[in-house]
Amino acid sequence: MTFRTKLLLLTSLTVAGAVALVTGAVVVSTRRAFEHIDVARREALLDQFRRELDARGEELSRRVEQVASSSAVEQITSGVAEYDRAQAEAQAQSLDFLDVVEPDLTIISSAHWPVRFGYKNDWNISPGISPQDWRATKSFLARIPLPEGTAVALVCARPAPGGKALVIGGRKLNPELLKSLGIAPGMRALLWLAPDDLIDAQGPVENAAKLEPLIAQVKASGRESTATVQWRAQRSSAEAFLGLPLSERGQLMGVLLAGTSLREETDLENAIVWIGIMVGGSGIAIGVLLGWWTTLRVTHPVEQLAAGARAVAAGDWSTRVEVSSHDEIGELADSFNQMTRQLVEQRDRAIQAERVAAWRELARRLAHELKNPLFPLQITIENLQRARERSASEFDEVFREGTTTLLAELSNLKTIVARFSDFARMPAPQFERVDVNELVRGVTKLYEGRPPISLRLELAEGEFWIAADSDQLRRALGNLLLNAMDAMPDGGTLHVATESIKDGVRISVADTGRGLTPEECERLFTPYYTTKHHGTGLGLAIVQSVVTDHHGKVSVVSEPGSGSRFMIELPLKQGDLI
Amino acid sequence: MRASLKTLDPFADSDPQALGARAWLLPAVFETLVRFDEHGDPQPCLATSWIHDAARKRWVFTARENVLLHNGTPWSPKGGVIEVPDDRPLPDILRELARPSHAIVVHAEDGSLIGTGPFRIERWDGEKSARLAAHGGYWAGRPFVDAIEIKMGRALRDQELDLESGKTDVAEILVRDARRLRQKGAGISATPSMETLALVFENSRSPDVLREALALSIDRATINNVLLQKQGEPSAALLPRWLSGYSFVFAAARNVARAKQLAATSPPLVFAYDRQDPILRPVGERIAVNASEAGIILRASTGPADVRLISLPITSRDAWIALEDLAAMLKLSLPPATSGLFEAESALLNGYRVIPLVHLPQAWATTGAVRDWPRLADVWLDSLDAKAKP
Repeated sequence: MTFRTKLLLLTSLTVAGAVALVTGAVVVSTRRAFEHIDVARREALLDQFRRELDARGEELSRRVEQVASSSAVEQITSGVAEYDRAQAEAQAQSLDFLDVVEPDLTIISSAHWPVRFGYKNDWNISPGISPQDWRATKSFLARIPLPEGTAVALVCARPAPGGKALVIGGRKLNPELLKSLGIAPGMRALLWLAPDDLIDAQGPVENAAKLEPLIAQVKASGRESTATVQWRAQRSSAEAFLGLPLSERGQLMGVLLAGTSLREETDLENAIVWIGIMVGGSGIAIGVLLGWWTTLRVTHPVEQLAAGARAVAAGDWSTRVEVSSHDEIGELADSFNQMTRQLVEQRDRAIQAERVAAWRELARRLAHELKNPLFPLQITIENLQRARERSASEFDEVFREGTTTLLAELSNLKTIVARFSDFARMPAPQFERVDVNELVRGVTKLYEGRPPISLRLELAEGEFWIAADSDQLRRALGNLLLNAMDAMPDGGTLHVATESIKDGVRISVADTGRGLTPEECERLFTPYYTTKHHGTGLGLAIVQSVVTDHHGKVSVVSEPGSGSRFMIELPLKQGDLI
Repeated sequence: MRASLKTLDPFADSDPQALGARAWLLPAVFETLVRFDEHGDPQPCLATSWIHDAARKRWVFTARENVLLHNGTPWSPKGGVIEVPDDRPLPDILRELARPSHAIVVHAEDGSLIGTGPFRIERWDGEKSARLAAHGGYWAGRPFVDAIEIKMGRALRDQELDLESGKTDVAEILVRDARRLRQKGAGISATPSMETLALVFENSRSPDVLREALALSIDRATINNVLLQKQGEPSAALLPRWLSGYSFVFAAARNVARAKQLAATSPPLVFAYDRQDPILRPVGERIAVNASEAGIILRASTGPADVRLISLPITSRDAWIALEDLAAMLKLSLPPATSGLFEAESALLNGYRVIPLVHLPQAWATTGAVRDWPRLADVWLDSLDAKAKP
């Protein structure tokens, strides 16, 4: 990952993280604020419900009192009226439930269940209370038995004149009650009534299964409980409910459910999140642009420096980095440019020193090479001078021997001069299609049968056609073979092999001689360097020159005492010949 | 009247709901050779006398003389007698001949039905109305009224309004309303109990003990005293006492404790009754309350049911005929006539497949001018002046 990418990523993450943190904090604060508002609104709703219930209770007590004081009750208690007489009175007073009962609560006439006469009223009413006490009793919630089940109602009991009967009337807790609560927008009130009715201001509530857990919790605990119900997949459909138990004399009559829609809160949260996303996105975009500009300022010089370093590594020590800034990057670029200048200077000095060393080495080698034949020449000439003073016959003999020696040494000198001349005049290779295996086989044939050295040839299967100057390559390979044989004066194994490598072929020549030190390995291919007493130091230099001209490379692996292994790697594809 | 009759043909099948009305109207138009009096004894009608051989295989009925059909032609069987020979004894032939299905009916060429009764069918307008005109040549003397206009399918409330507004002289009423209407000045006429309210189990899914428990849970006395204003006769028998004489033998007392014991852990029963019927609805509701006290849950239904509350008409003044008709209506098999009436009814009631509750009379409210209702042949009006509103 580049520095630019890292920098952009870091900028983006920083901006996004900061925006996310701020957005989250705002959302949490908003949610808490809504929760506080909801709690206040729900408590207000509950207060309103209680007040409405009290008001309806007072209205109910007035209606029941009117029934109790009517002549109809007198007729009912005296047996004149029919068993269902209470129905007319209930209808007249808009009562949903009405029982005229004896003091022991035996039903005389029932409006909502006429045939239940003779049975006890079981609306959770205590018998035996005096008429005065009944007059002072407030309305209360009761569970009314009906033919098809039960219903919860607001109930009031009033004594008939003379205390001969008790009139108990009731009105259902219906949607009208909830409708009259004046509920704030976004809120609604539901009423669960035992055993299994759930109503809201519009009527029975369908699909109320999701509220059942909350109702069950309130029923089980008998205390307030809260829950959030999500009606549909969208979070905006969620509603927060507070369940309040409506109990009477130890019996749970119902549960008032005050619900608050979370739509507004959700919408606001969504808006905040969207704003956060937009701010974050914009921040990231700006951050990217700023980061881009910054990285241009920072990484472009760095990239120039990197390119310069690569160029230096590739050998172009004249590379310079153009930097206009005066900051740390500018200093770094200046240092780089200074470094390359120094490198060039050091290289030039090294080349100069190497040239001097090479000339010295050449001079030393020439002196050494020339010194050997010069001494016999000097001795021979001195012998000839001394022989002049002797007899003619002796002189002739010495002359013949002396001239023979002179010619031999002069020939030797010519050979030495020719070698140096050959190296200096190494011709350009003439490429042709050459099978490496065939070439190796041909060269090694010249060196077979030279005990005590045994030759082991190991060629890779197949043909390896390369573009090469076969003469130069034979000469290079021959040099390696001669060197290897020279390294084994006491005999050994000369191992010549070819093998396929990626896009090329490798020729290796290994001996079992004394091996080379690391220092020797490092200087082996330097012209005029030799480890042999009679060598010119040009053999391996020629090898390297030939291999380089063939776009290959030559290397050596050796350890003292373990022999040496020279390897020539040549590319298979080279020019149009292949 | 509430019932609607498509036809008065004695041989036609009738709606069970209209059996009572049909049994009441048929004798006014069509007569049988023999009829039964209020005590269930056979009396001469179109046959003035009858004799039989010792083996009761051959019966000879002497036809009444001077009997004219509604079209004025005389009814005169050949030789003045009707012989019924058979190779088997016919001990119940009088009862059979008293059945409306054995009435003397002549089918006229125009499709009308001609009988010998005190009234002839002057008009029969489907199930809506009918007009019976006095038969001037009736052998027992022309009826006092010239004609009787009958409106069918009228709700009780409408009939009462018609009576109050003077549109009719007679209106069917519920027996429980008799006291109220009498207080309002209406004349009240009632038959002996001609209807039996009963619970009928429509399938055999309910165990015997549960059926018995339901029978024991019902407070018949309160149903009669309060819901029916004491106008009925609480009974656990199918036939009313005036017809059988022994209905009190069948125990009708309530025993909630025993019912609870029998009904322990019993499954709910699907209970049906006609919710539009002003008698069946409160009685059904009260039965549900009684059953609930005994731990029996009756779930109201308007469709198929385990047990149904129905009204069974008493179709004949002959106990056997009435019991046979009841058995037929209940789709129960009646023991052979060789056993006694009591044994036969006991067999029907055994197992509580049917639980009789109350016997109810048929009642009418009339204007002050109507006399001798509901015997149509004897009905007469005091005078137009005396025809006062109730």
